[in-house]
Amino acid sequence: MTETPNRKTGRGIVDRQALTDVVPLAIPAIPFGFVVGLAVTESAMPQWVAWLTAPLIFAGAAQLAMITLAGTASLWAIITAVLVINTRHVMYSAALAPTFRKQPRWMRWVGPFFMVDQTFALAAMQTHRTPADFRRYYLTVAITLYAIWNVVVPLGMLVGPVVPESWRLDFAPPVMFAGLTLFAIKRIPAAAAAMVGGFVSLATVDLRDRLGIVVGAVAGVIAGAIAEQIVERRARTSTPATRQEPER
Amino acid sequence: MSTTAALVALACGAIGTYFARSGLILLLADRTLPASFERALQNVGPAVLAALTINLAVGSDGLGGVEFAEVAALVAAGVVAVWRKNLIWTFVAGMATLWILGALT
Repeated sequence: MTETPNRKTGRGIVDRQALTDVVPLAIPAIPFGFVVGLAVTESAMPQWVAWLTAPLIFAGAAQLAMITLAGTASLWAIITAVLVINTRHVMYSAALAPTFRKQPRWMRWVGPFFMVDQTFALAAMQTHRTPADFRRYYLTVAITLYAIWNVVVPLGMLVGPVVPESWRLDFAPPVMFAGLTLFAIKRIPAAAAAMVGGFVSLATVDLRDRLGIVVGAVAGVIAGAIAEQIVERRARTSTPATRQEPER
Repeated sequence: MSTTAALVALACGAIGTYFARSGLILLLADRTLPASFERALQNVGPAVLAALTINLAVGSDGLGGVEFAEVAALVAAGVVAVWRKNLIWTFVAGMATLWILGALT
């Protein structure tokens, strides 16, 4: 990912910059999309509905949860899991809201549909651009990722049926989720949330309709909130009043 | 799962995801969220992903059905995820461990 000086404007330059930036972030999405495609072929959902999650939801972890939980979890548990996984997008929306204020109405409605992790990560570094250049950069990144995703998922669906069961690709989703969990942990409260979420999910694994996922997630969020308070309190007590910086 | 139930799940998932992404851009573009709320949101992802990982790994057979190779695969995936911070390597490490230990045990 490269940092773009303000003077680097113009359609061609913005397009090239966006494409150069998006490639390294798109590559890891390829095997993930492939796993989602494989999961579609093993899902209890009708395959065409499971496939539609790629163009309509366009969120790998949420899609994988919906596709793999179908048939074993209740409808409301599936919907809750999908929505809870995507809660982080609220944070992205909050962070980019001031930049989107300068965009035309159609962009404020269309742009957020494409806001996956990678789009946010790149767009958040381009808020200094003019509204037109930001829009061009954002849409180039977004449409590139959307196109790649919607090619890779069907490819996984094509290959899925010919993969032997001994390859144990049914275990690929938990492996991917394990990696995503660890990527998402950046602070101590998040680690506490993950640990409690995992342990409670394990303790409640026998609950029907995979209710343990929701119970574990709620317990994890509560643990994260408690950890936040502890961390804040310690930070306050360990910072001497004399060392506090004056307000500017 | 019936087609109707699947379509309901798809519609709710798609609409919910869209509004999670667009809600604050469309409605609250000129305001900021309390810092404590933003921090709380950061913990939702790890909590739910960890719960999903464990629940999917254990599967419908319960704890008694978990194989050593599966636990080792998750551990290997976790170590590589922290070490390389790369999803491809995480996937390769986890699945390779599962295949190798599965063949040996």
